[in-house]
Amino acid sequence: MAGSRADLRANLTGWAFVAPALTLLGLFMAYPILWSLYMSFQTGKGMNFKFGGMSNIYRLTQDPVFLRALSNTMVFLVVQVPIMIVLSLLFAAALNNPKLRGRAILRTAIFLPCVTSLVAYSVLFKSMFAIDGVVNDSLLFLHIISEPIRWMIDPFWAKVLIIMAITWRWAGYNMVFYLAAMQNIDPSIYEAARIDGVPARARFFKITIPMLKPVILFTTVLSTIGTLQLFDEVNTITASQGIGGGPADSTLTLSLYIYNLTFRFMPSFGYAATVSWVIVILVGILSWVQFQVAKDR
Amino acid sequence: MSLFSRLFSLLTQAMLWLAAFISVFPFYWMIAGATNTANDITGGKFTLGTNLIPNITKFFELVDVPLVFFNSLVVAIGGTVLTLIVASLAGYGFEMFRSKTRDRIFGGLLLMLSVPFAAMMIPLFVMFSGVGLMNTYFAIIAPGIASIFMIFYFRQNTKAFPSELRDAARMDGLQEWQIFLRIYMPVMRSTYAAAMIILFMTNWNAYLWPLIVLQTNDMKTIQLVVASLATAYTPDYGLIMVANVLATLPTILVFFLLQRRFVEGMLGGVK
Amino acid sequence: MSGLKLTGLRKNYGAHQVIKGVDLVVEPKEFVVFVGPSGCGKSTLLRMIAGLEEISGGDLTIGGVRMNEVDASKRGIAMVFQSYALYPHMTVRENMGFALKYAGESAANIARRVNEAAKILELHKLMDRKPRDLSGGQRQRVAIGRAIVRHPEVFLFDEPLSNLDAELRVQMRIEIARLHKELQTTIIYVTHDQVEAMTLADKIVVLREGLIEQTGAPLTLYDDPDNQFVAGFIGSPRMNFLPAVVKNGALTLPEYDGQVIPMPPVAAKLAEGAEVTVGIRPEHFRTGGSASLDLTIELIEHLGGESFAYARQGKANVITIATGTGRNWASGERIQATFDPASVLLFTAQGARVR
Repeated sequence: MAGSRADLRANLTGWAFVAPALTLLGLFMAYPILWSLYMSFQTGKGMNFKFGGMSNIYRLTQDPVFLRALSNTMVFLVVQVPIMIVLSLLFAAALNNPKLRGRAILRTAIFLPCVTSLVAYSVLFKSMFAIDGVVNDSLLFLHIISEPIRWMIDPFWAKVLIIMAITWRWAGYNMVFYLAAMQNIDPSIYEAARIDGVPARARFFKITIPMLKPVILFTTVLSTIGTLQLFDEVNTITASQGIGGGPADSTLTLSLYIYNLTFRFMPSFGYAATVSWVIVILVGILSWVQFQVAKDR
Repeated sequence: MSLFSRLFSLLTQAMLWLAAFISVFPFYWMIAGATNTANDITGGKFTLGTNLIPNITKFFELVDVPLVFFNSLVVAIGGTVLTLIVASLAGYGFEMFRSKTRDRIFGGLLLMLSVPFAAMMIPLFVMFSGVGLMNTYFAIIAPGIASIFMIFYFRQNTKAFPSELRDAARMDGLQEWQIFLRIYMPVMRSTYAAAMIILFMTNWNAYLWPLIVLQTNDMKTIQLVVASLATAYTPDYGLIMVANVLATLPTILVFFLLQRRFVEGMLGGVK
Repeated sequence: MSGLKLTGLRKNYGAHQVIKGVDLVVEPKEFVVFVGPSGCGKSTLLRMIAGLEEISGGDLTIGGVRMNEVDASKRGIAMVFQSYALYPHMTVRENMGFALKYAGESAANIARRVNEAAKILELHKLMDRKPRDLSGGQRQRVAIGRAIVRHPEVFLFDEPLSNLDAELRVQMRIEIARLHKELQTTIIYVTHDQVEAMTLADKIVVLREGLIEQTGAPLTLYDDPDNQFVAGFIGSPRMNFLPAVVKNGALTLPEYDGQVIPMPPVAAKLAEGAEVTVGIRPEHFRTGGSASLDLTIELIEHLGGESFAYARQGKANVITIATGTGRNWASGERIQATFDPASVLLFTAQGARVR
């Protein structure tokens, strides 16, 4: 065939362009994923492992530390993601008002936290929330509390602190997505709604929110994946003496537990791999659920 | 304006300014902290102090700052440049040379995007220690080079690259790699710029993987140094704040110099 | 200058055939226009000639040399694209000289040829600007300039004027005609605008669904179309098509209350009861004649120099009538539209011309 030689050449060129990426992805992504899937059925310490069948999965159900890490992670997910998404939407809606004074400054300020590194902001929070630190001092001064909150000692307040920290870091980030999407909505839609006599609140809930649905879904999925992998904050803010997840494992997350299983204790690669696949499966299920919810509405 | 809507607008403004204050305060806290002693900081002193010079001196005594900064720069710049090259080649290849097989592979990549790093961390660790590459720049940079997100980003943006431009270049006698080099790269430079900013920030801020890979002090990046100082038994916040300023400064500078591009890069994937 | 010969040219995308065997001879220095509805394959055919699409079957020769597998840059052709495809990061001068650089020309030669083309197109004031600083018409001229610089044997134009506004389009049309006279090259030009086709072409090629419907000079296609498709495609406003039945030595129009018009001479050989389509151009009504139709004017459009009445009878299709100035006509009015029965065209039920 006359054309096939040229077709073949185009095809080879196409492969040449994607080859470096595919090689690297195979080596540093596909292979590790498969390897960890294989490992999750192995047991043993260090590099001595043998096939264990379902024993790792059984161990999961019997492991109180894992169950605690799982429940902590789910608490962070269920409480933090909705709070943050709602806050981000509120900020975006308020900032989308062109008549607002100081709009550029406000937008930049609220967005600024997300340029910090996770480590840097974790350290800032750790120091601000010290027992006689600036936050407690201010709250006492304003008579909001009568005695200092034990942020890093009380398991409940430690969780609250982590949730506040993540929200601080990411609310502005998500806000920028919403703001960009809001500015892409054709203003004549709002003009039409005003002429139709739709009140402002209904305009927000019946026009803005539905039109932002794809972006909200996108950010929710991203935030879910991020929260399920929560590591840096709990390994820094609520860490003491180099061990994260405190106090008393009250902020231990799945990622941190995997890290501990591998690098802190006598390495238990097989079991750690099993825990990591719990995250993979959770990400899969939750993303699927979020897509279904978004589709139905 | 009715009383109610005026009240509402006041309330929104108050909320925004409060949010802005909360967002910015830690930055001020960081700078103020760098001038205070550790005791002042944990004691909640938020005015500027006089301990800046001692903090800096102590930090430079404790840590080989130029070396740490150099390590961070090598990792951030090396990772950024290599990712830009590999990801843009792939994005271009996937979009310009569509074939059933490659489209399917691309779909598979998007699936892999949702696999968390935690699942790959152990195998990667075993792999690198197996071939004796732990504690090297290569080990920190390599796993991130073929970033699926960046491949996706470049493919999305390549859709806006006019195919007639490619046709014209072919009629002008350019080979495919010359089209990429001479036409695509210059035409898409704002796409590259936005990606570069995001990549620089990601690489500069990386923590978990470097924490696993880097074992000796002479290889540590600034993020690792800050973290290890902060999780010490009695953290000295005065010098930590100095370290923190250094760890944050490059990304803040990039952000303020290139704010618009920065946001473009962030939004790149959703277009 | 070279001519082209297309023999049984075919293009498949998998099992899907988009060009189904095209035979065409383009004479040297000829201006050939491909027209047809969107999706007819005219652009694909042009891109196959350019070397941007592989040829699945058949032969393409340019200047007598088989070109099927020759690289796009070595076929002696230049192309002007619909979106102009100027390199946005290069100046006008760099854009125009870019191909020559890759053809290995010396810098002096490049400069000379670029200046030459700039003179022809009056571009010299714009040479150091970037494409984004040019207007639509200027970009168009640079795109043509870039093609001229290569001294091609054949020029290809892919809907080059479709991104311009109406006024500029007329201007550029005239300029392209002038260029053709001046440069004396072979041109193949794709458009969906039949005014461009009529005014520019030496020869029009009408395509439909990957096949040539008819090839010929513009007025040949207008006066003497081979089939109903070509008759409907060439001419504006469109030709009116009225279904008719041969009955008692005349044509009966069942949809128009059974009105009868006399048999045109060509219909003599049609059998009694045969179903045909009568084609009457709107302008055929202007001169009047022995045949007439009773119609009611539904709407009348005055363009000043010309007026078009849209008239119908019962539920049948609207008939477009050119009325000259027609200022005394009004909508709702009943009229007798007259025409010469010898001027109408007849088509069989399959759409073929009855000659």
